Amino acid sequence: MSAASAPAELGARTDAAGRLLAAAEPLAALQLRCGGTLPGPIAIPDLAELVARAGAYRLRLARPIAAEDGHEAVRAWVEVVPEMDSAGAFAGCRLTLAHWQTAPLPAEDAEALVSRHAEIDRALAELTARLDARQCLLAVEAEGEDLAAALATMRGGIGRPWTDFVAIAGDIHRQPLHWRLLDGAELTLPGSARHWRARLFPHGLPGGEPAGFELCLTSDEAPPEGLPEVPTLSGERLVGRDLAPVLRQPIARIIANAETIRARMAGPLADEYAQYARDIAQAGEHLLSLVDDLADLEVIESEQFATAPDAIDLADVARRAAGILAVRARDRRISIAAPDQAARLPATAEFRRVLQILLNLVGNAIRYAPEGTRIAIELSHVGGEARITVADEGPGLRLEQAARVFDKFERLGRSGDGGSGLGLYISRRLARAMGGDLVVESTAGQGARFTLGVPAG
Amino acid sequence: MMTRPADPKPADSAESELRLALARDDAAVAGVGPVLRHLLVADEPALFSEEVVARVRAALTDLSGQLCHAVTVAHGLDAPLPPEDPAVARLVRALAEVPGMLAHVHALALEAQLAAALQARIGLDPVLSPLVQALVASDQQRTAADAMHFLAAQARLHRQIGTMHLPLGELPPELLHGALEALRETLGGAGGTLHPDFAACAEPAAEAIRARYDERASRAGLAARLVTGLGGGLIAALQLPHAGVALFASALSLACQQDRAGVVLAMQGGQHLRLALMLRAAGLRTAAVNENLAALDAPPAPDALGRLDAARAARLLAGA
Repeated sequence: MSAASAPAELGARTDAAGRLLAAAEPLAALQLRCGGTLPGPIAIPDLAELVARAGAYRLRLARPIAAEDGHEAVRAWVEVVPEMDSAGAFAGCRLTLAHWQTAPLPAEDAEALVSRHAEIDRALAELTARLDARQCLLAVEAEGEDLAAALATMRGGIGRPWTDFVAIAGDIHRQPLHWRLLDGAELTLPGSARHWRARLFPHGLPGGEPAGFELCLTSDEAPPEGLPEVPTLSGERLVGRDLAPVLRQPIARIIANAETIRARMAGPLADEYAQYARDIAQAGEHLLSLVDDLADLEVIESEQFATAPDAIDLADVARRAAGILAVRARDRRISIAAPDQAARLPATAEFRRVLQILLNLVGNAIRYAPEGTRIAIELSHVGGEARITVADEGPGLRLEQAARVFDKFERLGRSGDGGSGLGLYISRRLARAMGGDLVVESTAGQGARFTLGVPAG
Repeated sequence: MMTRPADPKPADSAESELRLALARDDAAVAGVGPVLRHLLVADEPALFSEEVVARVRAALTDLSGQLCHAVTVAHGLDAPLPPEDPAVARLVRALAEVPGMLAHVHALALEAQLAAALQARIGLDPVLSPLVQALVASDQQRTAADAMHFLAAQARLHRQIGTMHLPLGELPPELLHGALEALRETLGGAGGTLHPDFAACAEPAAEAIRARYDERASRAGLAARLVTGLGGGLIAALQLPHAGVALFASALSLACQQDRAGVVLAMQGGQHLRLALMLRAAGLRTAAVNENLAALDAPPAPDALGRLDAARAARLLAGA
């Protein structure tokens, strides 16, 4: 046991209802780790009892308390002074804590732990059922509004296996499975948006075949209250929200430093080292675009994804895309034929997303077309659709390649060229989200023509 | 025990009252046999020695006297209730009925008796044990101050118990609360007191006693604070010849999460297996357990104890 670096004595206050109003560290932290709030009801059992007792007796108490927060055992000396207001009514307690000591929790007895978890699951079960030896329903009880539908259907299906009434995650077997396989299974219930876990407690002599079961369904999620919770986009966006921002900066620094070396800005350098530096910079750029692609993928694959259509000029977007990629194209002696300055093609789409698609299409063309060839960006207006086509003079796609090229992570057998296999998949998803489409027509040996169509403006 | 068939229709209320009184007397008579047998042939007479019984009676009478005095003070008289006032005797009986009161008072009497025995046999001072000496001399100011406060309180209580006194402030808060409830009921009940005015004074008297009470200042409170502050050094207080009876009982109570009165009871002859289990539950090795048993002039613990770990010993105690 070790004395924490706590002050010699620390104070706290409670109100007449026994809620902790203020507490010095480390008591405040312990209150939070025990699941309480500040201010809020005391979440440390020993302390709550002591304060309640001091209030009930109106006596000054002084006791040691013990607590656990799941990681540490805490012991402390607590002095509780009940205080009266000017009218003589109990107003709350003043607490003084001393001798704050912490120690790692001893390992828990495995058997005791299992039986305690079983007790907890039983106590928290929101749906319980009695099953016979074949796991067929005998009786069902449930509480909670979102369980009413499931309860009604299960009660209508007494005598059938309980697994007929739930959807078990990842389950492909015929039901019912052996009970040990179903014990702890994740499942969903019709009519409930929550995720549930099944616990099966067998009846009968230990060691023998169970004569029946107690089924308990528990959920880690609270029952719905009032208005259903609005799902938020950010809740699911691990890459875009959490990873991409922290990855971009270090990767950008790797690229910048590699470029510095490659350009021999820090002094003379043998050619092969400059080459390595270029490889590093390219790998970094690949990593950066992969991060961007994954963040995009996450966004467009979420159910709430929507674009913000606007009145735009496709010719203008095409010229901008050509301008952005002009340097890269020149590196490979490829020319880009963009629509001339006078061309106009009004459309209804989101500018940023159309530009993203065009950069992907033109970028692919630059990457895969032979050096010294030409990329054409053509505009057309067909029916109610404004179209923009990117045509290259590369090897083109065979029929079966064209069928797969929009698949997620499809690389058509390529590797090591900086592609992620996500660009076209994302582009097509974006096009379709804007009410249009992205298609390819190609004959092997005659180049590929990718056409983006969006509603005309 | 005499048994009578229950009469479903008592003739009148006078008869039913008689029946009730008779049933109460039956219960008292029923207790005579076992108590007398225990006093005559028990292996360990110390639990109910005449000294212990006298101390228990004296403690209850003293508590009752303090409560009555608080009532007269609240009434404006600074004088004790006359001993012939029936309220005094009734209050002693009511105090004995407070749950846990007899066990506590009995434990204090046993503790005093044991401390005196250890002083005679191994020269262990009931107030200033080697551990208390060491703690008073601690270079940690907080520990030294806690130890000094405990030393003063222990010396005071030792003297008070020796002179058959027990201050209200030495009761645990649960028992003090029970005692104040007993006071209210006794004075408020029929035929309570020679001075009917006193009944109205029970509440202000209780309020005054509450205001004076502070568990922290009691001997048990100071001992608990001192041993809590020892942290890992608590193990030093689990050696009876080193810590002395008072600190040893408080430390063991804290370490094995058992009631202090229960620990004192386990230190008596005939209860040493329980003590050994408590020490084991507190994490002591068999050798250290046996050193404590030897100090109490008890035989070593059975070998089975060595095969129990602390957690199992604690479970055994909790289930016992």
